[in-house]
Amino acid sequence: MQIRVQCGCGESSCPEWAVVELQGVAGYTFTVGYHELAGTKVTLKKPLLVLRKKKTNADCGEHEPPEVELEVIGIIRHKILFKDRPKALISKLPTKEKKTVQPAAK
Amino acid sequence: MDAEMEDAGAQAEIERGGGGGGADAVLGLAGGGAPVSLCYHQAFGPHDDLVLLEAADDLLPDLLQGRVTVRGRPEEEAVLCTPSATYSMKFVGTSNSMFLIPPGEPSAKCLRPDSTNGDANAVAATIKLAPGSIELVRTAPRLDKLRSLLRERPYILDEVLGNDFQHMKGLYTWQDLCKLIQASDGELLDGLNTLSAVEIDGFWRTVDANSVNTILDMILHNSVLHDWPLNAMPENDVLSVMESDGFTHKIVTHCLNRFGTKVEQESRSFWNLDEKRVCLQFAQRALGAGKMKLANFMDKWERSIPSGMRADLQMLEGEVLCEKLGAETWVHAFSVADLPLTPADRFAALFREQPKWEWKDLQPYIRDLRLPGVSSEGLLIKYTRRTQPSAEAEPIFTAR
Repeated sequence: MQIRVQCGCGESSCPEWAVVELQGVAGYTFTVGYHELAGTKVTLKKPLLVLRKKKTNADCGEHEPPEVELEVIGIIRHKILFKDRPKALISKLPTKEKKTVQPAAK
Repeated sequence: MDAEMEDAGAQAEIERGGGGGGADAVLGLAGGGAPVSLCYHQAFGPHDDLVLLEAADDLLPDLLQGRVTVRGRPEEEAVLCTPSATYSMKFVGTSNSMFLIPPGEPSAKCLRPDSTNGDANAVAATIKLAPGSIELVRTAPRLDKLRSLLRERPYILDEVLGNDFQHMKGLYTWQDLCKLIQASDGELLDGLNTLSAVEIDGFWRTVDANSVNTILDMILHNSVLHDWPLNAMPENDVLSVMESDGFTHKIVTHCLNRFGTKVEQESRSFWNLDEKRVCLQFAQRALGAGKMKLANFMDKWERSIPSGMRADLQMLEGEVLCEKLGAETWVHAFSVADLPLTPADRFAALFREQPKWEWKDLQPYIRDLRLPGVSSEGLLIKYTRRTQPSAEAEPIFTAR
């Protein structure tokens, strides 16, 4: 079988997605909010394309495998990477913010 | 964390590229800017239909302009093909948490773990935790299968093809091959050329050896009758004479291509038959499948070739092997075209044929092996053991 990779957006205007990457399974650190992580904006050595699987003939016969197409819907060139250990904040923070991305120090 | 909120509206937005995630705000963060709050998009979920593909910059134009396909049968490991190259696709998982943030104006509603509404300054939203991405590694096209498919049903002169489905068994169109063979269009075309395949009535076929012999004999026979020099046979005359003998232009042109090169002269086309390729064909015919004493073979071969051509054992590199048995030298057919195309299988087949190889004998059987990023020295080191009894002696290669 052959799956075509399609792109509707064109080379110059592919929408750029972002990634926030946390080392380890640390998402909840943000929820608690007593910790602060310093992150940096990293340009990916190789960009990541966001592809979406699409079935083009969903209601075809049972014997035919569904035709699948991959559509490029975005490109990721940068990520905000948090790889350091979280720093405990001494003062009590309001627990409102789930995750707060602070501007990275350049 | 695993909140699965399916929201049709948000889903449609993501598809249109206006994902409502606020990626720009996150990417635009630089020293001194205002903080950006990040929350779960209301459509946050597994989104198994979204995959990340890592692509080097030089691959982006092909990917973004729709020149790339993924090829293979469901039971094969998928490969990605640009117009000219093949890449293996490997999923590489990450233990980090990679939150994907789509572009577009962030939607007001955000999902919080406690299911309360987000606050007003939430400006970026993540829709998926990516488990990893697909990496691409340049790989050799998988052409072994092409050879076995095209050998299922070689073209035979005067064959009659029926029209019903059963009669199409073993016949493959270009589109069929694109679906079945894991190779880029360019590599597939090279593979078809290497197999001397020809497209007849929409199907790519190899041509049966006896049929090739018949056509070549007829061309040579006519060249004597009509005084065509073998290095400048007038194309129009050849085609029309051969047609009156019952051979189609298509199959005659295929044979001319196989045994010669076209030369344009004063707006006319001539064919120059290649001595080596013609002689090789006659050698294969003289030798058949069995073993022959070298002297007998040379005698039979030299008597069979067209006059004006000269047979030379060097022409048979990669096609015929010599073997010393006592005082006699024997020869037998052993064609590189019948050997496997992957290096491991190729070397295994070679060492099954004979345990020791001298470089001059081995080289013709491995020179066509090409593996991205591996030199032929690298292949030798990986698959052979090299011994040299003395500094002057020829090195001998044995199986590792």
